Amino acid sequence: MEPTDDAKLSELLREWRAPDAPQSLDARVLGARKMWWSFLLTGSIRVPVPVGVAIAATLLAMAAALVRQRPAEPVTSSISLVDFRPVEDLNVRVIGGHYEAR
Amino acid sequence: MTDSEFREAYGRHKDTLYRFAWRMTGSAAAAEDLVQDCFLMLWRNAAAYDRERGTLRSFLIGVTRNLALKRLHKERTFDELEEETAICGPIDPAGRERREMVAQAVAALPLLQREALILAEYEEMPMDEIARSSGVELAAVKSRLHRARENLRRMLAPLLETKGATYGTNR
Repeated sequence: MEPTDDAKLSELLREWRAPDAPQSLDARVLGARKMWWSFLLTGSIRVPVPVGVAIAATLLAMAAALVRQRPAEPVTSSISLVDFRPVEDLNVRVIGGHYEAR
Repeated sequence: MTDSEFREAYGRHKDTLYRFAWRMTGSAAAAEDLVQDCFLMLWRNAAAYDRERGTLRSFLIGVTRNLALKRLHKERTFDELEEETAICGPIDPAGRERREMVAQAVAALPLLQREALILAEYEEMPMDEIARSSGVELAAVKSRLHRARENLRRMLAPLLETKGATYGTNR
């Protein structure tokens, strides 16, 4: 291999120029970065179907058990006697259908 | 890695990586994808870069190179000849511009030869840095580069003869 051959070849190869990175790449790279905590808002995880079904079934069973075990609330009724006034003039009258007819 | 460190690294190396990916794949869209993936990898896992093992440029070139080879292997729909022994025939210069023929000739090189040639010839990377980026011995890079030049000389023979006659007196 002659050195001049390499020089000629290099010169010829340099005629093929490549463009620099386009500006659209800036937005793609600099805008695509996310902070670690953004996963909590936008992230997703892949769960195998059997695992997902098992988790859903467990949650349903727990919810059903909670509903069944909830005790009935005691009826708490309070009666206020603040406005209670005893009858002052008590006149007892017995009403009976038989005697009224007479 | 802080945001400003990342931006500095991106500003310094984006063109080199893009040109390398563009020449390797021959596609602007693919080159953008590869460079984006490379920098996102750096952002997510900056600890993967070890200063003691080389420059950031050679690390990023290595990442882009691996991504590009993976993509090209996936897209390849035929069995290519053995990388090391592949011999490329001359290209037909009729009706083509010189730079198109050069592009075609480089694209026709086997992947590993193409990679070594692009980094050495176009990005002017030292051989040892190419070896680090490619994860191979220096001797392997020299061998690939030698074979790449041999193939190119064969493929571009018609142009080299013309060029010799045209430019020979200027040297």
